[in-house]
Order: sequence, then C-alpha cells, then structure tokens
Amino acid sequence: MNLLLHNMNPSIKFVIVTVSMIVMAFFFNPITPLLFCCGIILFQLLFSRINWKLWTFSMLPFLIAAFGYLWTTLIFAKSSTGNIIWTPFFLEITDQQLDLALSLTFRVLAFSMLSLLFAFTTDPVKFVMSLMQQLKLTPKIAYSVLVGYHFLPFIKDEFLQIKQVHKMRTHNQPTSKWHRSKAAYRMLIPTLAGAVRKAERAAFAMEARGFTGEARQSFFHPIIIKQSDILLSMLFSILLIGSCTIGVTLSR
Amino acid sequence: MLKDWKLKEVVLMSLFGVVFGIVYLIFIHIGNIWAGLIGPIAYEWMFGIWFIVSIISMYIIRKPGAALLPETLAALIEVLLGNAVGPRLILSGIVQGLGAEAAFAVTRYRHFNLAVLMLAGAGSAVFSFIYGYFISGYAALDPALVAWMFTLRVLSGMIIAGIGGKYIADGLLATGSLRGYAISHSRKGDASA
Amino acid sequence: MSNVTFHFPDRRDPVLENVSFAVRAGERLVISGASGCGKSTLLLLLNRLYPFNCDGTIQGDIWLFGKKTEDFVPGEINQQIATVFQDPDTQFCMPTVEEELAFTLENLNVPSADIETRIASVLELTSLSDFRYTKIHSLSGGLKQRVAVACALVMNPKILLLDEPLAHLDPLTSKKFVQWLDTLQKRVNLTIIAVEHRLASWNRFFTREICLGNSGKVLADRPFIDAKPLVFPAHLSSIRQDEALHVSNLAVTIAGENRLLPMSFSMNSGEVTIIAGPNGSGKTTLLKALVGILNTSGSVKPCLQLGYVPQTPEYMFLTSTIKQELAFSQNASSEELTTLMDRLDLLRIAESNPFSVSHGQKRRVAIGAMLADKRNVLLMDEPTAGQDAASLRELYELIRQRAADGDAFLIVTHDMSFAYAVADSVLLLKNGSLSGKFDSSDIWYKQDLLFSHQLLPPEGDVKDELVVT
Ligand SMILES: Nc1ncnc2c1ncn2[C@@H]1O[C@H](COP(=O)(O)OP(=O)(O)OP(=O)(O)O)[C@@H](O)[C@H]1O
Ligand SMILES: Nc1ncnc2c1ncn2[C@@H]1O[C@H](COP(=O)(O)OP(=O)(O)OP(=O)(O)O)[C@@H](O)[C@H]1O
Ligand SMILES: [Mg+2]
Ligand SMILES: [Mg+2]
Repeated sequence: MNLLLHNMNPSIKFVIVTVSMIVMAFFFNPITPLLFCCGIILFQLLFSRINWKLWTFSMLPFLIAAFGYLWTTLIFAKSSTGNIIWTPFFLEITDQQLDLALSLTFRVLAFSMLSLLFAFTTDPVKFVMSLMQQLKLTPKIAYSVLVGYHFLPFIKDEFLQIKQVHKMRTHNQPTSKWHRSKAAYRMLIPTLAGAVRKAERAAFAMEARGFTGEARQSFFHPIIIKQSDILLSMLFSILLIGSCTIGVTLSR
Repeated sequence: MLKDWKLKEVVLMSLFGVVFGIVYLIFIHIGNIWAGLIGPIAYEWMFGIWFIVSIISMYIIRKPGAALLPETLAALIEVLLGNAVGPRLILSGIVQGLGAEAAFAVTRYRHFNLAVLMLAGAGSAVFSFIYGYFISGYAALDPALVAWMFTLRVLSGMIIAGIGGKYIADGLLATGSLRGYAISHSRKGDASA
Repeated sequence: MSNVTFHFPDRRDPVLENVSFAVRAGERLVISGASGCGKSTLLLLLNRLYPFNCDGTIQGDIWLFGKKTEDFVPGEINQQIATVFQDPDTQFCMPTVEEELAFTLENLNVPSADIETRIASVLELTSLSDFRYTKIHSLSGGLKQRVAVACALVMNPKILLLDEPLAHLDPLTSKKFVQWLDTLQKRVNLTIIAVEHRLASWNRFFTREICLGNSGKVLADRPFIDAKPLVFPAHLSSIRQDEALHVSNLAVTIAGENRLLPMSFSMNSGEVTIIAGPNGSGKTTLLKALVGILNTSGSVKPCLQLGYVPQTPEYMFLTSTIKQELAFSQNASSEELTTLMDRLDLLRIAESNPFSVSHGQKRRVAIGAMLADKRNVLLMDEPTAGQDAASLRELYELIRQRAADGDAFLIVTHDMSFAYAVADSVLLLKNGSLSGKFDSSDIWYKQDLLFSHQLLPPEGDVKDELVVT
C-alpha cells in the first residue's frame, strides 16, 4: 500500500503530473493550488515511503522563490480595482491583488510539490524504459539518454579532476573575477572534449552490440500498466477536479 | 526526422545534456535564491544560460532538430537527476528548444554565423517568455515590469546563449575533437556565408 | 579484404593503402604496428562502423562471409562480428552486468523467454555468474574487460575483434586474461582478430601476425613468431645524496573509507622510483595525495615543486597552443623552452592545439609543461599505456636524461620491462597499503613478492639470469 506511488507506471505518472500543471495554470484563485498542495501531501503520506527530511530540505529553495513571487506580485501587480485593505508606505494593496499574489505563490508551491512527488518516487531508468514502451519514444533517444545518465558519475569525476589539476598548475595566478570566469571556461572545454570522445565510443559500443535503433519486439523486463495505476490516476483526477471546482466556488 | 541522425550524434546530444543539465541545475539554485530577494526578474538576466545547449549543438551538428533535441534531453536529464523542478522542466525545455529551432528553420539551416546564433538565442527567449506568461501568470503583473523582463530575457538570450555558445563551441572545435561532425566539414563554406 | 584504401575526409593521404588479406575461420590473428598507423581504423572497417560513421571514402571491397559489407543492413553484421574496445570505461551503456547483456539480446530480437537462459549460460561460460547484478562501474579494469567479452559472446558471434585489451591491466591479470581467452577459443571455436602493442604478454597465443607500416601498407603477413620483449639500454644510477621528497605517515580517507593507509618513504635527487601493484590498489590515489589534490593526513616535504602528469594528459591543458602551454608558468627562459621542445620533439607542432595532437605527443606536452615549470620532482601516472616501442624508448631516454640532471621521478606503470629498465627502486602497493620500498637490483628475483602484488618478472633478460642464479 505505501509503495503504490513508487510502483506506479512512470509514464502514466508523468502524464498526470504534466496535465495537472497545465490545468492549474488556468486558475487564478488561491484556494485551488492550496487544496491541491494538501492533497499531494496526503497522497505522499498514504501511498509512498519518502524521506521527509530530504523532502523539506528540497522544498526550501522553492519556498524562498515562492516568497519572492508573493511580494513582487503584490508590488508590481497591474493596478486593479477592489477594496483597499492595507496601505504600507505609499502603496495600496487591494483584496484582489492579495488574492492574485497568493494564488501565484501557492501555484509555485504546488508545482514544486508535484515535481518532488515525481522525482522522489520514480526510478530514472524505469522512467526512460517506460517512456519507450508506453509513449513510443524511439529506442535511439531512449538508450542515448540512459547512456548519458550512466556516464554522469564519470563526467562529474572528470570535471573534479580537471578542476584540481588546473588548481595545481595555476596556484600562483591572480584570482580576480575575470580570471575566475576564464578558469571556468578553461575547465569546461576539456570536460566537453571528454564528453565528445565518450559519446563517440559509447555509440560505437552500442552499434557493435547490434543496436540498430529500430523499435523492439521483446523486452527482458517489460513495464506494464496495472490496475493500481488506473486507481491512482482516478484519485489524482478527483483531487484535481475537486480542488478546481471548490476553489472557483469559494472565491466567488 | 531521426532517420538521418547518426547514433553518435544522438549520444553526443545526450552527453551535452548531462554536462549542461548539471550547469543548469547549479544556476537554478542560484536563481531561486536571487528570486527570493528580488522576485522573478532575478532569472531574467541569466536566462540565456538555459538556451546555450541548443545553440552549441546546432552549431556543431547542423541538422534539423539539433536545437530542439538537446534542450529536451538536458531537461530530461535534469529530471532524472532527481532534483529541482521536475517534469515541468521537460515542457519548458521543449518550448525553449523550439524557439531556437524556429530561428534556424527560418534561415533554412544554411547559415550558422554569429547573427543567426544570436537570433536563435532571441528565439528561445521569446518562446520561453510566451510560455512563462501563461504558466507563471505574468499576466497578473504590471505591464511595464513585464516589458522589462522581456527585454532583459531577449538580451540575455542573444548575448549569453548566442555569443557565449559560439565562443564555447569554437573553443571545442579548436581542440580537434569535433572532426567527424558537420562543423568541421563546412568550416570554409561558413566563413564566406 | 582486397585492395582496400581508406581516407578520412579531411586528410589528403590515405590512412590505409592497398590492404589485402583473408582470414579463415578459427584463426587467431594479431595486427601490429606503430601508434597512429591505422590499426583501430582497420578494425572499425571490419565491423562496418566505418566508413558510415566518419564520412570517409573507401576503395576496394571488404568481403565478410562471402558477402560484400555494403550489402549488409546496418547492425546486421555486428550480430556476427563482436567487438571489444580498448577503453574499459566507455564501452558499456547500461548500469549492471545483467542489463548490459539483456540490452544486447534485445537488440537481436531474442524472444524474452530465451533471454534468461542465454544470459545464464554466457555468465557460466565466462565464469562471471557472481557478478550478474553488480554495477559495472564498480568493477576493476580486468573484470570490466571480461564483461565486455561476455557481452560479445552472448551474441554467438563467429568473429571476435579485440582492440588492445591488455592496455590497462596489471601483468598477472593480463596473463590470466590471455589464458582464459585461450580456453574459451578452444571451446567455442572463435575467429579472433586483435590489435596489440605488448605482444610479449600474449606468449604463443596467436597463430598469425600482420604488421602495418606508417603509410598504412601491410609490411608483413606471416605466421606468428615469438615476440621478443623490448630491450632498453642499461643505465647508470644517478642517485645523489640530497633528499628530494620526504613522505611521512601519509594517509587518505574518503567518506569514512580508508583508501590509503599511513605510509612513509623518501626519495633522493636523481632517483627514478616505480610504483607498481594490482588494479585498484591505490597507485593513482597515492600520486594525487602527493600533489595535494586529495585531502590527506601526514606530511609531504617539499610540497610545492612537485609536478604531476595525470593518466589523462588532457586534464591539464590550459591554453590553445603547445608553445603557450609550455611557457605557461613563465619559469623558463625562451632559450630553455626551445631546447626543451627540441628534445621532446615538439618544435614541429609548436603552434598546434594541445588537444588535437596524437596521444603520445599529448603526454610529452604534459611532461614538457611540468619540466618547464622547473618542478624537480615529477610524478607520472601510467605514461606507458598504449604506447608503441619507439615512444617507450623515447620516454626511457628522456627520463634517464632528466634523472642524470638531478630530477627525481615517481612513475606508475604496469609495464614490467620498462620498470625493470628505468627504475632505481620500486614501491609496491596492495589494497591501499605500502608493502615497502625495494631496491631494483633484487626485487625482480623475488617471485613470491611479485606474484602477491599481481606482478610478473619482466620477460626476457631477467628470466635468463634467473636460471643462472
Ligand atoms: N575521425 C578521424 N578523422 C581524421 N583522422 C583520424 C580520425 N580518426 C583517426 N584519425 C587519424 O588516423 C590515424 C590512424 O588512427 P588509428 O586510431 O587507426 O591508429 P592506431 O593504429 O589504432 O593507433 P594507436 O596504436 O595509437 O591506437 C591517426 O593518425 C589518427 O590521427
Ligand atoms: N571516486 C571514487 N569513489 C569510490 N572509490 C574510488 C574512487 N576512485 C577510486 N576508488 C577506489 O579506490 C581504490 C584505488 O583506486 P586507484 O585509482 O588509486 O587505483 P590504481 O592503483 O591507480 O588502479 P589502476 O591500476 O587500475 O589504475 C580502488 O579500489 C577504487 O575502486
Ligand atoms: Mg588504436
Ligand atoms: Mg590508476
């Protein structure tokens, strides 16, 4: 039960998350995104086993950004009608403005939560595999992405090494801002050159394994659509429709 | 579209996606903190960074799709990294890629000089702004501010993505590791164009 | 293959010229020749990755199993000709051994019911069953190379192509790899075509040899004769009395894991010391610790004049021409630079981009940059890997000359003949700890000590002496 979200078919999850985001973009009341946020947290509590400490930590930058949205929309909002509810300094803030600002802020939070829900419960390799099997992504792209993902630790390692060797060679050079950005450029070039070389070798290796880029007939580990996927999608739809209608009615 | 792509080109796009995916993530964090201090306009001046992979890749590979694909892959890789903004990024990646792609399509994929690259940077900026206008609700903001944001973003796209992207790709070309890609073959033709 | 001539698009002279040969089933063929003469290119033509992937032009025909290569659909031929590439790190596309094998079989459209049995049987055949669920990037270099062979064999190929499979393996692992391949070949009757510089490590494995010359012509096509190991001229020790490097209680701990246990040793000026040990024993880690790239405990004296040539020389390039690269530190006068470039044979390419020259040249640029920095202790990580005989001799001369001038060298290598020739002393590492510093005059006779570090005595001269002593 508490692994349902983790086991959900990644493509379906992806489609639902994306659709929810697009739908929410059309609602300018604060209640819809707020309800939606609560629903997501509830879903995660019920159907997933995530590390809440890490989750809170990952939400932090988004909270800061959301706060930025709040006060800029308050100050820079289109001058609009409505009852003036607060007049700090020489600004006038109307209830409509506040509503709008809050709705944008909660929207940022809702988007972030959706994203984190996806990120925390999805295995990247399965996601790509499922994109290929359910959404008909061509194997050429799917496997190239997997190769890129697989090379990530190598590229990171290589970048660190380059950085350190460069530091050793340039230890007595000036460190002004200009020099620092020049140093960053000097590190980027070998990293990219390494990536080009790796790409070529990996592509050769794939072709040498008989990879033609054609769609495949059989998979060793097929990824299927289960009943629980349908159930979860329905729950998500209810949450989405529910928070939209309630939001619209309440803010009338 | 993918038929005349070689596998090594697709893999190269993916690895560029990885490298720039990491770079993007770093900047998202910087951007978020700035955004908290001075609002959404914080992102604008450095928005060009997010378009750079389209421009570098198209400049190197020169095939239809070479701007759209890597931007999308970079976004996908960012999502795979399990970090930050999640699936929404894939959508914005596609939109940004389309913007750059449009600029190259208008010039019929024949010219890849600085002006065209800057145009592509501007294209990404315009497309991503229209997208952002709906998704992030810029409609609610003061039109003057929106105009400012737009100008900043287009400038940033032209300068950071257009000029910066060409500078990086030229540096890479000089290393000789790009032989076997279109950029090495059409060197002379391009100089006259 | 008949009369094949091959051009890269941006070069005037062909890489391969009028190459013709035929290979019978079950043959074991080795292709040898100087670095950069076109051996890898030839292999890539044989499995049809070239010319499609590099826009090169080809004249003449290549016939595989009685059919021209052009007549095969892309990918079709790769299901009968399997390839193992040189670099163990960049030839896998999936995270675990099992997934990598499944990827290969899915490509062949093997029904999913059969995939399981074929994976199990190839793992059995290659005795890799224990590693089925292991992450590939956590395997040692030797094991990676074996996994690559397993992926090749799971396709049931008729021909196996190998590109310098031993370049990064320690001596004993290399030897085991060759023996293992030998048994395997007898069991499944493969045709093997390999590219190799270190022929001596293969003993009598091959039955035929094709030598490629510098202009891409076949120099010789003959039955394989026992390879003579490289012989280097003897050297006089140039050790001086003053201490050049003193290390005490150096240790490295990364993420709570001891990667290097505390070790102490010292070196004098003019001394050439070899670091040897099994794959993954911490040799690279030691060098990085010495130059201060890794956080360490313990002390290294002196710490500023150390020069470091990483395993991948590209990591250290900062500028866009070789000349600027050498002049970067501004520690050497322009006459000094010119003599240095002359001695390193870099004058001809002084204006080239350091990234674009050949592998051996890159390494010499890196060494030159360090020498021009006036660093008098030089650390080098595997300068011998993938180098042909001529470059090895050149490297040997260079090191001995600089040692005679009083510089100290600390060199990591898996090439025991080279080590035997160049070393004054040897540091042996195992599992992150230092077994000791040994004098080069007697270490090569202590077989047990060498074996326990996955090393072998160098081929040739020492063995003869062994019999005498
Ligand atoms: N894509 C390419 N475009 C142009 N020239 C190339 C390309 N690839 C290789 N070359 C050049 O072709 C020559 C032969 O290269 P190849 O890799 O076949 O050499 P090799 O015999 O395998 O050398 P090594 O022993 O060092 O591996 C080299 O001089 C190399 O610089
Ligand atoms: N980034 C890393 N993260 C975790 N473990 C690592 C990392 N780099 C190296 N190691 C481990 O540290 C040990 C020592 O590695 P090192 O690279 O020093 O070996 P080496 O002696 O140079 O081997 P080789 O002969 O194969 O080059 C190995 O067991 C290796 O798996
Ligand atoms: Mg080669
Ligand atoms: Mg090493």
